[in-house]
Amino acid sequence: MSDNVYSTICPGCNFGCGLYIRENGSLGVDFRKSSPANAGKLCRFGMSLPKFFAPAKSMIDGVETPMEEAAKESAKRISDSKGSAAFLSLGNTSNEELLAFQKIAESYLCTGVNFEALPKDTYQTISIGIPYSEIEAAKHIVLFIDPYEQYPLIVRRLLSAKNKGAKITSVWWKDLTLADENIRPDDISKLALTQDSIIIADFHPLSDTEQVKNVLSLAKNAGAKVTFLKPFANSTGEYIISKDAKQKSLAQLIEDINKGTIKTLFALESDISALIPSDTLSKLKNLIIQAGQASSAKANIVIAHEPLYMKKGTLINNEGRVQALGGSGTKGLDALGIIAGSKFDFNTLHESIKKTIGITVVDEFTIPKYDRPAYGAIQAAPKPVEKKPALIDVYNPFIWFNLADDNDFVELNLNTARALKLLKGGTLKIKSNGSALEKKFKVAPVQDNVLLTGKSLGIEKGIITPVEISR
Amino acid sequence: MQKGEMYVGWSTKDDVRKRGGSGGLVTSMLAAALDKKLVDAVVVLKKINEFEAVPIITSDINEVLNSAGSLHSVPSHFAKLIANRNLKVALPAKGCDVRGIIEQGKRNAINMENTFIVGLNCGGSMHPVVTREMLEVMYKIKPEDVHGEEIEKGKLIFKTKDGKENAITIDELEEKGYGRRESCRYCTIKIPTNSDIACGNWGVTGDLVGKATFVEINSEKGARLLQNAVDAGYIQVQKPDEKGVAMRTKIKGVMEGLGQKWKDKIFVPMDNRLEYFRKELEHCIDCGACKAVCPTCSCGDVSKCTEYHFRSDAYKMSMYHLVRFLHLGDACIGCGQCSDVCPVDIPLTRLYRRFANPIQLELKYEPGMDTRKPPYFEVKLNE
Repeated sequence: MSDNVYSTICPGCNFGCGLYIRENGSLGVDFRKSSPANAGKLCRFGMSLPKFFAPAKSMIDGVETPMEEAAKESAKRISDSKGSAAFLSLGNTSNEELLAFQKIAESYLCTGVNFEALPKDTYQTISIGIPYSEIEAAKHIVLFIDPYEQYPLIVRRLLSAKNKGAKITSVWWKDLTLADENIRPDDISKLALTQDSIIIADFHPLSDTEQVKNVLSLAKNAGAKVTFLKPFANSTGEYIISKDAKQKSLAQLIEDINKGTIKTLFALESDISALIPSDTLSKLKNLIIQAGQASSAKANIVIAHEPLYMKKGTLINNEGRVQALGGSGTKGLDALGIIAGSKFDFNTLHESIKKTIGITVVDEFTIPKYDRPAYGAIQAAPKPVEKKPALIDVYNPFIWFNLADDNDFVELNLNTARALKLLKGGTLKIKSNGSALEKKFKVAPVQDNVLLTGKSLGIEKGIITPVEISR
Repeated sequence: MQKGEMYVGWSTKDDVRKRGGSGGLVTSMLAAALDKKLVDAVVVLKKINEFEAVPIITSDINEVLNSAGSLHSVPSHFAKLIANRNLKVALPAKGCDVRGIIEQGKRNAINMENTFIVGLNCGGSMHPVVTREMLEVMYKIKPEDVHGEEIEKGKLIFKTKDGKENAITIDELEEKGYGRRESCRYCTIKIPTNSDIACGNWGVTGDLVGKATFVEINSEKGARLLQNAVDAGYIQVQKPDEKGVAMRTKIKGVMEGLGQKWKDKIFVPMDNRLEYFRKELEHCIDCGACKAVCPTCSCGDVSKCTEYHFRSDAYKMSMYHLVRFLHLGDACIGCGQCSDVCPVDIPLTRLYRRFANPIQLELKYEPGMDTRKPPYFEVKLNE
């Protein structure tokens, strides 16, 4: 008897949290206190990883099959689709797999985000964030995120900065406990930035492009630094690898599926059910999912292999830190080789990645030097929130699949609760676009006429959805 | 061999003696327990580098013999690791490990009859991230250049690959916010007499300094463990000299006194305590890591603290924390694990101890120091 313990990286977001996964009959999480990104600390999602890593089974049209057969059948169906196949990877796997994937996906690559709508010269700024140590040393930090809900491990870095004298300004729909100054998004003109400011925003598949431009523009005009946190385990690696590739946005992919020009979708380590409407997915002739853990989407073919913690390879976190995954598995790469028609060599891909980043060894304690080119002036026109009740989806990077989480409520302020005569422990009725639902609520210092949700309720139309609310 | 006896001993295996701390006695004793089937498994630290080692449970003798020696920058805890696994196991244990194991035993999560606890003298451990920063800021050396470390005469010494020794007093380091974890500073269990056998280098004298381990047998299981290793040819022992025994007692007294001084320094009365607790807890993100890692909690996922708490509550201080304060009043052993893993750096151990110190003093009950059940642990219901 001997425990299998994997030193790995949390797949919850791109923060790069190190941890151990212990296999001893069941899965367990141990705290890897020497990890430079998180000192072993984990958020609610990290603590739930044993449930997240539910094993997947390879299937063809609902029938269990060996992985190789599923990959071969996928290759056939992709080939038969004659140019109507799209390839989606949100960035939840190793750089080595992503590099192999890109060779397969040349005809139609979707990374889930919309770089096409942003100026080319902002690509590097958006892709590679600044080191957390710089955030801790900042004099002024401006948040365009809710760190507690969206990227919890940044909270301790912000508190550390605050203890050293930093001022924290939040531009958000809710007062944040750690902020010295809370500005509502509609009052952005009150925001005073200097060269000593660091802006923290995020960039994800549902990001409002105009808002991203606005953040970039604010930073540019003030000479401030800006860093974008990202929601997938290897978002940074994915964007670095795909820098010169032609990319389609998620909206474009959805449109192409709806139009019928895309009939086959191959998704690599990406749970699409949270991002692509089910009626769109139902229009596909073939949905092929390659993954290391169970997915909630119903696929025609599932290519199942080892989970992330058992894989060999590297990830790049928000800071640009290159981190080794703890395992030795290359089955994901083998499957991609079957689809490509020729086997991929891990070492060749790994060396190519190191060359791209400009490193000779993978050392998680040293952040490689990246070019941080300036970008030109940007015009942005973010839409103001209408002065009537709106449901705002606080994009939660953690793909919970079917994991139970205690976040099934909306947040609203005391004025709204009193005006609607809501009862403690009771519910709130929300109507939108002909849909209606009843939700528990939490009273919080939220902007008037705003409901915040960290969980998709199924009635949203983008980030901001006008709603009617009642008791 | 029997309870109360003391010895000085070392491994008979050359490579273990060289690699292991203080003559490799503990490593060899654990290997012998496996070899002679006294236990089915052993807990060891698998060393990754000077600042990282991962605890594993193994039945492989070679894995035991190749395991790490003393690593002060690996603040792990073993109680939860062996809980609910129904193992016949031997393991090395710092004072706080021993206390956690005993508390798990009281809660029927560990069978104490099948658990052989090799206590390790402990002056404290350090957080690896803090240690790396300390090396660069205070010692002006790169963490990668460190080849070994030891504590001697109040100094923390790091040996570098170029053969140099770099020493700074622990007092100076802790004044600057480095050095031991806060909970280790005020811990007063320096020699774990609550273990089956307590081992350490305090009390080793003369030519044996650095080459042998001083052991004190605290139970019949401890005697079996040591005798088994001697009979199997894994270790050699001899009686300690009187000077060594006296020195060990003196060091223990000094260390415990220092711990008490820290306790007196940290746990001072304060104004507006409610506001203090509220402020410290206001950034909690409900991850539950403090409960998961707590070596005295054996409730599992479903428990009062979790079931009375809803994220939709808007309480200034959550029911989760209030229930845990209550539960830990007579259970907290001050190990510091909760503070270590808190993602928003809440000094949880300090908060728990603020409740636990007076309660445990008043009830004359120190959890994990013996097998006595906590006061009010059992409730008799009227028929």
